[in-house]
Amino acid sequence: MNELTAEHFLLLSGALFIIGMMGVLTRRNVLIIFMSVELMINAVNVAFVGFAWEQDSMIGQTFALFVIAVAAAESILGLGIIMALSRRIDSVDVADVTTLRD
Amino acid sequence: MSAEVLVFDILAVLAIISALGVILLRNPVHSAVSLVVTFVNLAGIFVMLRAEFLGVVQVIVYTGAILVLVLFVIMLVDPDELPEFHRGQPLQQAAGFIIGLMLLGELAAAILTRTVVGQPGPWTEDFVQQQGGNVQVLGQFLYSGYVLPIQAIAVILLVGTIGALVLARPDQPTVRPRTRSTGTISLAHPRGAEGEFHPPLPIGAGAAGRAARVERRGEMRGGIIVVTDAESYSDIPAWELEFAEPDVDQKTYAEDGFGIGREGDRS
Repeated sequence: MNELTAEHFLLLSGALFIIGMMGVLTRRNVLIIFMSVELMINAVNVAFVGFAWEQDSMIGQTFALFVIAVAAAESILGLGIIMALSRRIDSVDVADVTTLRD
Repeated sequence: MSAEVLVFDILAVLAIISALGVILLRNPVHSAVSLVVTFVNLAGIFVMLRAEFLGVVQVIVYTGAILVLVLFVIMLVDPDELPEFHRGQPLQQAAGFIIGLMLLGELAAAILTRTVVGQPGPWTEDFVQQQGGNVQVLGQFLYSGYVLPIQAIAVILLVGTIGALVLARPDQPTVRPRTRSTGTISLAHPRGAEGEFHPPLPIGAGAAGRAARVERRGEMRGGIIVVTDAESYSDIPAWELEFAEPDVDQKTYAEDGFGIGREGDRS
């Protein structure tokens, strides 16, 4: 592949998404899980912008901008929840959150 | 191999390595720094994809705001509470890796065998340049066809801010003793002195008022008049007043460098 094609960016996006998903599935620290979710959101952004670049469109970039804004709001709330959690159960281990399980 | 592909390869490999660092490193602070590296590399990818504004927004919003917040939360959470990576649940981790690899294979197959449908849009590189550049075109999009989503984003950010305040509020509100009001250092409010309360003086004319004022004036320390509270406010500007000689050694404060003086500096 001597020419830069959209497949490059899509494969990068897929790899980043899978890495983030592995982080969510395997780690127990809720902070790491939060960072992995951010990683997945960014992978989706790369896919959006990659498609927009391939199709000579601006809608992908517009959508990625909206995704970034929503991710900012989500991160504020997520970090607030993490802080409330660590205050309430003195832990950031997701295995310790058993309120709905027992 | 063209230069573009080379640059892309460097950025992509760095991004993937640091993304692996996010999920493999034990220390959450190292993970956060690794995530910063990932985001900066992705900003470079965005610039390669002719999305310059998104690259800048990526750096400002993600590495500038969100990751700093994450670091603050890591700082606030007790480090003894942070669970180890390899503690317990090997089954869950093995399942996670296997499912991830399977999904990666599926994704790669889907990407490599896809066919492009639809027609490309008009926004080629030359056309975007002709319209004034990436930022201008994006601004036209956002404020013509996407006005309602923009306002919805505004509401979402407002709700997020309020929600964060509600979530971060402690269960028991902190009760602070209100014994002493804030000390102020001012050139214009000369009444009062550090640590002692001076009731407001009658602003009288003549020799009696003048004497009272001179007697109960605030301290002057190295050229700065120290006032403790709002009670000692005076409408008379400082440069029209005379001051009592300070009962402190001027040399102590001269050595201080600032003349403000700390608690306990008084000799």
